[in-house]
Amino acid sequence: MDFELGDEQRAILEAVQTLLARRAGAKRAIELARKTEYDFELEEALISAGFAELMNGGETGPLEAVLVVEACAAAAGTVASMASLLVVPAVLRHEPSTPVALASGDVAAPIRFAAQARTVLVDRGEEAELMALDAGDAMPVPSNFGYPMGRLKSVRGEGLGIGSGSKLRRWWRLGIAAEAVGTMQSALQCTLDYLKTRKQFGRAIGSFQTVQHRLADCHVLVEGSRWLTYEAAWLGAPEEAVAAAAAQSMLAASQVFNETHQLSGAIGYTREHDLHVWSMRLQALRLELGGVSAHHLALSKARWQAGAIS
Amino acid sequence: MEFGWSEEDRRYRRELIAFVEEALPETWSELSADGPGSDAQAEFSYEFAGKLAERGWLTQHWPSEYGGGDATAWRHIVLSEEMWARGEPRGPQYMNVNWIGPTIMQYGTEEQKAHHLPLISSGQVLWCQGFSEPEAGSDLVALRTLALRDGDDYVVNGSKIWTSYANNAQYCFLLVRTDPESQRHRGISVLLMPMDLPGIEVREIPAVVGDRYFHEVFLTDVRVPIGCLLGPEHEGWSIVSYALQYERVGAPRYARAAKTLDEIAEHARERGLLDDLRIQERLGEARALCEAARVLTYRVVDQRAHGLPPTPDSNVARVAGTRADRAIAELALQVHGADALEYGGFADKNFRMAMTAGVAVGTTEIQLGLIASRALGLPKG
Repeated sequence: MDFELGDEQRAILEAVQTLLARRAGAKRAIELARKTEYDFELEEALISAGFAELMNGGETGPLEAVLVVEACAAAAGTVASMASLLVVPAVLRHEPSTPVALASGDVAAPIRFAAQARTVLVDRGEEAELMALDAGDAMPVPSNFGYPMGRLKSVRGEGLGIGSGSKLRRWWRLGIAAEAVGTMQSALQCTLDYLKTRKQFGRAIGSFQTVQHRLADCHVLVEGSRWLTYEAAWLGAPEEAVAAAAAQSMLAASQVFNETHQLSGAIGYTREHDLHVWSMRLQALRLELGGVSAHHLALSKARWQAGAIS
Repeated sequence: MEFGWSEEDRRYRRELIAFVEEALPETWSELSADGPGSDAQAEFSYEFAGKLAERGWLTQHWPSEYGGGDATAWRHIVLSEEMWARGEPRGPQYMNVNWIGPTIMQYGTEEQKAHHLPLISSGQVLWCQGFSEPEAGSDLVALRTLALRDGDDYVVNGSKIWTSYANNAQYCFLLVRTDPESQRHRGISVLLMPMDLPGIEVREIPAVVGDRYFHEVFLTDVRVPIGCLLGPEHEGWSIVSYALQYERVGAPRYARAAKTLDEIAEHARERGLLDDLRIQERLGEARALCEAARVLTYRVVDQRAHGLPPTPDSNVARVAGTRADRAIAELALQVHGADALEYGGFADKNFRMAMTAGVAVGTTEIQLGLIASRALGLPKG
């Protein structure tokens, strides 16, 4: 056991943070969201810097990939980092055309990045399917939830074999947790920065005990999510660990969304203030892969062989 | 960063579990019905802690110069987890090894170390913690129990409240005000007070959480020899702060909660409830809370293993542990239904144990306040 970052992990984080400071951030996310666009440049930069190779690297693996996915989410990157850096290297033997979108359940519903994706991985229960997309296979969908959304016109994928469905879900769950941790961290930080300076009743709002306790409780939930996510990654994404990480992250995401907005007041609803960049994304993450109920059920099934759920 | 147990620690856990299963009597479930503070468990703790000591496991994480085994903080958390998961067969002695001993090592005189540490490391002594007072609960620095020098003694007057284990303890880790003119953090001292001195009266406060759980300790002209002073006079607050860092994660409640949850799931299966999606969801939610509390506690253990100074992560772990404890105690009631209403049953026992989590060792509100200022950097009000 060792909870401190190793030298190589520290170097990877510094490298990705330097890249993100230049190419991502709230301002860029807002700009792209206005046009429902994808950040092809950022994705290209991440891939050419080698971050997609962390997952199957000799000295690196899922934990390093998760740290990078989390950092991308914290910097509000408008890229399918979870798919490119974590899920695809874990599930596929070859490199598909990017961006890669992930679909499950009702594939006709809006899906993150589907309008720009060249490849879709679909969770079909026992089996996962891989589908190449051509221009016109998906339509952009206007959305208020922080990511470019698209709707697939049809789904006709190639099966990846029995068992590939569960593999896809495990790594996707881990990715949801990692993205949520980074996104929550930034939503909370944005709120903290505001509440330390914004004054009412002659003092900083963040000095009121009620406000402090609610933010501190968010911190407890985010930290629990963070360490469960890192642990699950290090263990290689076993079902029970990833379901616990995702369940805890989604519980935390709900509370972080509600508290950061409540405590930020009206400014938090505006596009002038950055909170929405992260907060709205949290709600989109909460719906992915069946949402918090599915994570809870998956955890029960993995731990106690409860029920007959896929 | 890595999250694997060493092969040594895995082997130790297996050996420990085998030992505990052998050492606990068949009547353990009834014997432990009222928690570590009950007379029955206090009495049993001498035998059990003695056996742990014989194997070198009771204070394995202490330095060898004080009779320990120089084991890592990880090794000690394995022991703590397995103990709490079974209702703490060390009884009140978990406090001794977690923080009373280490605090005496840090601040004690040679005489104090020579007297107290062997008693603790052989498992033959019980302590209680004299912190809270009727007018000093969460606001601990409002304490008023006065200890005034008179010759070679302190004369102590005042009272302590909520004192678990006072019914059986031979010593009390007592916080007193040694400077009557002082305010708040200043002028506080720690006395290692023998509980058999004249003028000490212990009264039980009957409580719904269990028999012999809480006591009030009345101190009337108790003459405590000055040799019992721990650390510098009037500077007890820094000693308390040191001790509290150890205490907050000393009792890994999540280990008990996780075991309880497994038992709840088994019970649900037997009653045909495990196919119920709502029950599955509640179980999954509770398991995630429990796992979060575990990994957050490990975060603190890791800092200790690295020899890092204390951080607010111990407060974070405590708040997460309380949330897990409560979720699981309520779920036990739900799954067991009306059977839970009978005193001493599985669900009732767990519910009573979990009830105190948010108040013991500093209330959740105190923990959140410390997180807000120390981890989040929020300004003072």
